[in-house]
Amino acid sequence: MGGYALRRLAALLPVLFLVLVIIFHLTRFIPGDPAVTLLGPGATDVQIAALRAQLRLDEPMGMQFLSYLGGLLRGDLGVSLKTGAPVAREILLRLPATIELSVLALLVAIVVGLPLGVVSAIRANTAFDHAVRLVSLLGVSMPAFLLALVLQLVFGIALGWLPISGRTSPFFLDDPVTGFAVIDGLINGDAEAAWDAFLHLLLPTTVLAAFLAATLGRFVRNTMLETMGEDYIRTARAKGLPERAVFFVHALRNSLLPAVTVVGLKFAEMLGGAILTETVFAWPGIGRFMFDAIRNRDYPVIQGATLVFALMFMLVSLAVDLIQALLDPRIRKRMAS
Amino acid sequence: MSGFWARNRLALMGAGLLGAILLAVLAGPFFTTSPIAIDIANKLAPPSAAHWLGTDFFGRDVLARVLHGGRATLAIGIGVVALAFVLGVAFGTVAGFAGGATDMVMMRLVDAMLAFPGLVLAIALAAAFGPSLENAMLAVAITLAPQFARVARSQALAISVKPYMEAAMAIGVGTPRLLLRYVLRNGIGPLLVQASLALGGAILQTASLGFLGLGAQPPAAEWGADVAGNLAYLRDAPWVALAPGIAILLVVLSFNLIGDALADWFNPRRRAA
Repeated sequence: MGGYALRRLAALLPVLFLVLVIIFHLTRFIPGDPAVTLLGPGATDVQIAALRAQLRLDEPMGMQFLSYLGGLLRGDLGVSLKTGAPVAREILLRLPATIELSVLALLVAIVVGLPLGVVSAIRANTAFDHAVRLVSLLGVSMPAFLLALVLQLVFGIALGWLPISGRTSPFFLDDPVTGFAVIDGLINGDAEAAWDAFLHLLLPTTVLAAFLAATLGRFVRNTMLETMGEDYIRTARAKGLPERAVFFVHALRNSLLPAVTVVGLKFAEMLGGAILTETVFAWPGIGRFMFDAIRNRDYPVIQGATLVFALMFMLVSLAVDLIQALLDPRIRKRMAS
Repeated sequence: MSGFWARNRLALMGAGLLGAILLAVLAGPFFTTSPIAIDIANKLAPPSAAHWLGTDFFGRDVLARVLHGGRATLAIGIGVVALAFVLGVAFGTVAGFAGGATDMVMMRLVDAMLAFPGLVLAIALAAAFGPSLENAMLAVAITLAPQFARVARSQALAISVKPYMEAAMAIGVGTPRLLLRYVLRNGIGPLLVQASLALGGAILQTASLGFLGLGAQPPAAEWGADVAGNLAYLRDAPWVALAPGIAILLVVLSFNLIGDALADWFNPRRRAA
C-alpha cells in the first residue's frame, strides 16, 4: 500500500509542474502590458514602473518562472495588489470558512443523497423513482445562485427565519481559536454565538449540498441498477439468498465503491465551486476572496486562490484513489502484482 | 429509436420543454418590445398584462430581456461546445494517432487541465482574458476541451490498430487524410453523444461567469448577468432576478433530461434493468 501511494504521488509531480506553468502564465494572458491594465487609466509612469518591478515583468520569462517557483517553495504566493498583504496569509485566514461550509455540505449530501439513490434503485421505474429522478435532475440543472436566491427570498426575506449573508452576526465576533465559528463559540462557552454561527451556515450549506446530493443520488441509483445485472447477483439469487441479502450485501456494497470516487471528486470540485455560493451569501471564504480579487483585478490573489483550489483538488483525488484501493480487494491485488 | 421515446417519459418531457423554449426564444422576440427600451416612469413594475414578467430598474420589459437573452444563451451553449469539440478532438486525435512520447506529453497537459476544478479554471482564464462574452466562451471551451480530448484519444488509439488503417497506409494515404477520413469519421459517434451531454453544463458555466461579471457586459441581455444585475432589487421586485434564473434552470434541465435518457439508451446494461 505504501509503495502504491508513493507511486501515485510521484505520478502527480509532472501534472503539478504543468499546473504551475498554467497558473504562472495566467497573468501573461492579460492583453497588453499587465502593469498598465492592472493599474487602470489614471496610473503614472512611476507607478507602472514600480508594479512592473514588483511583478518581475522586466526579467526574462524563464527567470520569472524560477523566482515564482522559488517563492512557492518558501510558501510565498506573492502580495495582494489591493491590500499589500501576503496572499498566502490571506488565504489561510479564509480557509476555515470554506472548509466548514464544504464539509458540512458533504455530510448533508451523503445523508440525503445516498438513501434516496438506494431506494430509487430498489423501486426502479415506480412513481417514487420517477419523482427522485426528476428532483435530482432539477438539483444538477439548478444554477447555484438561483437556488441561493430562492432560499434567501423564502427563509430570509419572506419568513425572516434565517440570516441571508455573512458568517456571524456583527455582535458575535468571538476570539477565533480554531477559525471555525461554531466550534469557537462552543470553546468560548458562548452557546448563543455558536447557535448564531450555525444559523448562518444553514442556507449556504443547503445550496452546496443540494447539487452534491442530487449527483450522488443519481449515481448510486444508476450503479445499483447496473450491478443488479451482474453475474454474481444471478449467482447469489440462484443460491437462494433472500432478495434483501442480495440487495444490501451484494449489490449495495459493490455500488458504494464507485460512489466513493464520485463523492470525493465532487467534494473537491465543491471546494472551488463554492465561489458562487460564497459570493451570494457574502461568506468570507476563499471563493468570495477570489471573486473580490476578480473585481479588483488583483492578479496575485487570483493566481494564489487558483493554485490552492487545484492543489486541494489533486490531493482529494489522490486520497480518493487510495481509499478506493483500501476498500476494493481487486485493486489491491492488481497493485501487488 | 421509436422505442426510445415510449420508454422514456422523462426524455419526452425534456424534448417538449426544449421545443417550447426554442419556439418562445425564436418567435417570442417578434412580439415583445425591445429588451433595451428604457421607461423609467414604469420601473420595477410587477407582472401585468402589458409586461407579463414585470419591468426592471430601468423600466425594461423583463420578458423581452429573457427571450432575447435566451437567443444569446442557446447560441453561447452551442458555440462553446462546438469550440471545445474542435479544440479537444483535434488535440486528442493527434495524440492518439501519434502515440509514443508525443502522446505522453500531450496527455500530461490534458491531465494538468483536468487537475483544476472546472469552474475555477474557467474563472481564472476569463479573468485573465478580460471580461467579455467572447472571452468567457473561450474560457469555458478551453476548460471543456480536455474531456473531448480524452475520448478522442482513446478512439484514435483503438482505430489506429485496425486492419483498414494498415491498408490505407499501405496504399499511401497521406496523414491529414488518414486523420480526417479514417480516424475521425470512424470514431465520431461517442464524441457526438458526449457533445450533447456537455451542452447543459456549458450553458450553466457560461451563465455562472456572466453572473460573476466575467461574461456578457451590460446592456446586452444575458441570463447570468441579468440575475446578478438585479440582485439589489430582490426584496422589492424579486421577479426581475428570478425570471432569467428560472430560464437557465429550464434550459439546462431540458438538455439534461434528454442527455440522461440518451446515456441510458446507449448503455445496454442499464437499459436491461
